[in-house]
Amino acid sequence: MALPKFSYLIPKSLKEACIMLAEHEDKARILAGGTDLLIKMKHRTVQPEYIIGISNIPNTDYVHSNHKHLTIGANASLTMVAQNPDIQRYFPALAYAAGVTATVQIRNMGTVVGNICNASPSADTATPLLVYDTKVVIMHPAGERTLALDEFFRGPGVTALESGEIVKELVLPLTSDRSGSNYQKVSPRSKVDIAAVGVSACLHVDEKETITQARLAIGAVAPVPKRVLHAEKTLEGKKLTEELINQAAEISLDEATPISDTRATASYRKKMVDVLVRRALNASMEQIRAK
Amino acid sequence: MNNKQNPALNQKVSGPYTQKSVVGRSVPRIDAPDKARGAAQYTADMKLPGMLYGKLLRSPVPHARIKNIDISKAAAFPGVKDVITGKDTPGIKYGNWRLFPQTQDEYPLAMDKVRFIGDEVAAVAAIDPDIAEEAISLIHVEYDELPAVFSIDEALAQDAPLIHDDIDQLEGNISIDRNIDVGDIDKAFDKADLILDDKFTLHAVSHAYLEPCAALAQPDVEGRLILWTSTQAPYIIQCLLASTLGLPENHVRVIKPHVGGGFGGKMELRSWEFCAAFMAKRTGRPVKFVLTRAEELSTGRTRHAMNIRSKVGFKKDGTIVAKDFEAYLDGGAYNSMGPTATFLCGNFGAMLYRYPAYRYRGYHVYTNKTPAGAMRGFGAPQALYVTETQMNIAAKELNIDPIDLRIKNAMVTGDTIEGVTKISSAGFVESLQKVAEMSKWKEKRASLPNNKGIGIGCYSFISGGVFNWFNTPYNFAACEVRAYDDGTAHLLTMASDIGQGSDTVLRQILAEALGIKVENIRVTSADTAMTPKADLGTWGSRVTLMNGNAILDAANKIKEKLAQMVSIKYNLNIIHEVAFANDRAFAKAKPERGISFGEAVAMWVKTHRGEELTARGYYTPRDKGLTTPAYSFGAQVAEVAVDPDTGVVTVEKVTTAHDCGTVINPMSVEGQLEGALHMGLGYALSEQFVIRDGKVLNTTFLDYKIPAAEDMPQIESYTIETYEKEGPFGAKEAGEGLAIPTAPAIAHAVYDATGYRCKDLPITPEKILRATGKITE
Repeated sequence: MALPKFSYLIPKSLKEACIMLAEHEDKARILAGGTDLLIKMKHRTVQPEYIIGISNIPNTDYVHSNHKHLTIGANASLTMVAQNPDIQRYFPALAYAAGVTATVQIRNMGTVVGNICNASPSADTATPLLVYDTKVVIMHPAGERTLALDEFFRGPGVTALESGEIVKELVLPLTSDRSGSNYQKVSPRSKVDIAAVGVSACLHVDEKETITQARLAIGAVAPVPKRVLHAEKTLEGKKLTEELINQAAEISLDEATPISDTRATASYRKKMVDVLVRRALNASMEQIRAK
Repeated sequence: MNNKQNPALNQKVSGPYTQKSVVGRSVPRIDAPDKARGAAQYTADMKLPGMLYGKLLRSPVPHARIKNIDISKAAAFPGVKDVITGKDTPGIKYGNWRLFPQTQDEYPLAMDKVRFIGDEVAAVAAIDPDIAEEAISLIHVEYDELPAVFSIDEALAQDAPLIHDDIDQLEGNISIDRNIDVGDIDKAFDKADLILDDKFTLHAVSHAYLEPCAALAQPDVEGRLILWTSTQAPYIIQCLLASTLGLPENHVRVIKPHVGGGFGGKMELRSWEFCAAFMAKRTGRPVKFVLTRAEELSTGRTRHAMNIRSKVGFKKDGTIVAKDFEAYLDGGAYNSMGPTATFLCGNFGAMLYRYPAYRYRGYHVYTNKTPAGAMRGFGAPQALYVTETQMNIAAKELNIDPIDLRIKNAMVTGDTIEGVTKISSAGFVESLQKVAEMSKWKEKRASLPNNKGIGIGCYSFISGGVFNWFNTPYNFAACEVRAYDDGTAHLLTMASDIGQGSDTVLRQILAEALGIKVENIRVTSADTAMTPKADLGTWGSRVTLMNGNAILDAANKIKEKLAQMVSIKYNLNIIHEVAFANDRAFAKAKPERGISFGEAVAMWVKTHRGEELTARGYYTPRDKGLTTPAYSFGAQVAEVAVDPDTGVVTVEKVTTAHDCGTVINPMSVEGQLEGALHMGLGYALSEQFVIRDGKVLNTTFLDYKIPAAEDMPQIESYTIETYEKEGPFGAKEAGEGLAIPTAPAIAHAVYDATGYRCKDLPITPEKILRATGKITE
């Protein structure tokens, strides 16, 4: 299948990319890895007149960290994120999710920021980033703004980005030693597959294993990947017992509004929310205990 | 093992050919270096000067009359060189069953009606592929939509619309049926202590060959054509293309370049082959079509979905007394290879075991879906999924080990299949015994933990068909062998290597027969103008046996001539046999009396005043019964782990013991086994079409889920060597049969692990969770 015709613009900086994007508005799209965009173009689901290629802008493919935060640049590939030692240490669910997204070739080209901007409900990296309280740094021609990731997703393929805006980087607060996190996915084919359901959890506990902060997010079971705030509140201030897990799973089930599609039925997805929430919470706690 | 019920089993199976030099060796593939370097040319890689790019317009509706087609905008679009619709073509129907013309139900382009979403309506040839695609979108078609049917039940309903109302012989949507009656079925069931009566639904799957279909046609000034095409059957394409164009057969030359897999999906003339040729003639320029993966998955041929009802009777001791087998095949909009699948499904319903009474009723039903055709196993995977699952149910009910139950009923060498043939070799019991030993069957069945399971499935398959529905007047397989004074030989054959390795295996057979090195044989294959007539193609697992026999025929003729040379040179007594080995021709009993192969050829050429030494060889199975000259057999054990909460099945290990007669090339057989297992895995677990109102929704490999490399289990295999007297050096098929046992073996293992007995393929996580009560809503 051939690509439709387009003009290819090469900005020298992200700033310039914003200016180009502001100028061409809906007629332009940003290309980083291209693993989602080019396929959509071939299938004619999007037909931009301008492609703004940002992949060669210097110093945008970074993963930085200081003693407080870790930052993922716009061009950091899924492979980079999966293999980064700091991410593996502080954000193991993200490292794992990036490493099981699609295939090796796609992970080498595709970016984590692109995975988020594509805003697929089933994006592997979305739920881990949600449970790590990720902030999205958005650049526009006049400056920058920051948005919490759970306010970023607005619908399937729809984000909070406005005309002339691009995502510069993702900022994740480092997790503590007394935390554990986990990503669970299930799909019809056992390996190398898109998630039919994905669930992430991140628990912080005190020295008595009382949960001080809980994060729980579900993917591919609603129009957007989303946190289960009510379940998080229920978990906080308590110890992770069988009964508490039951409650969290039940609340998550209520929050899930899956559809039946080519990948799974709604009833199977609902069941998997239940199973994966339990697994993600248990695995997070086991990780804490193993530290 | 001593088998008291069945004394024929106690004989040792072995063959007389033990001193072979090339046959039995893992000779590397002749095509491997080019493929590894990316140098192999497939049809899509080819470019000719002035070449145009073709694109098809397909129907967006499942069933409609075409009221009007307006091509004016497309034809006027800059860069477009030709636009055709059905009305521009000679309007000649085609189909592979030439013996029964009423089954030939397809036009190259729709004439007045479309019958499925994807039916070909018009074609464009343009100077580049983008223009062709753009022009396609400018063709305006007015459809008068008709009611459509998407299932066997809908198609057979009283008031169902007639899909082929232009075929006089048809009253409803059943295009062909087949009956088999052996013994008195009702009386036979009276002897049964246990009767199983089960309904199964088997689903359609894609061949998913890695090379999508492609064709390139080049015209010459006298109106002849060359067609390069990704095909399994150049001769069939040549004949049917010529007849649909209204040309003499030999004005069409079909050449098969490298082909990236077929699995049954590339053995018929298809619309784009016709359109490439027809538009090449009209424009005087080469025209190429390359299909997209989305076209392949949404409109390509598939394996037949079937509804099967099977009733089997057993005595308490496990002896089968009768089987009543009824199959409805969801044929889609056209016959394609459906009649053959209907025939073979019936034959395979009665294979593997001895059935004193057997009744088959098979019906091929038109629906408004993509046509199903031939696919690896050709009716047998469905029939044997049912057979093998019922054997496992019976074993449970009768409290007999499933392998013991099979051995008790197993077909053996010399058994007669009534009305069909006598089985000339069968290593089935040996396969069962070996697979039980290798997989530690009994120990594991007794000791596997919860959520793990072990299961068995078996198969038999044909080594080529003896049927001639194509109605060729020529031999089924033919070749020419040219022997040269430099000690080399040239094999010319219409046999089609489509990735299965026939160029290599046929070269081995000729090298073995002539006693020369495999490297000293050049192969020219699958060019209808350059290789002897004819060859029905690569399907039905026929190539090794049929072309191998044709090669032996030619080699024997060559050797007879060279034997004369040795005999004259050494003044051999008439009782001496002349042998051929190590690049020499010599008196068998006195090897020092001999000359090199090249010298022998030189002598023959000298004594014939410069004539080239060539021989033609042929093979047609005559007096070989109704189905095939030889059957393969095998048994496979699968071990699975099932996640009880998600229902996800992991196949951990698969063990196979199988009888393909003499193994010509062990590495190739291993490749066939692993490839077949991969297909069987997908058929069992992950591959299916999601279809809504006749429209396929999963048209990419993201959502049509063939197993990934990581999904492959640990594989162990063993070949039981029998000697098949009808096969070259004792060989039988190893191509399609192995794709059969994996699904029933996995299903049995899943039952062992979870208690879920799958009668509705594929085995999805959700079905398992519903069966185990984990999902109730």
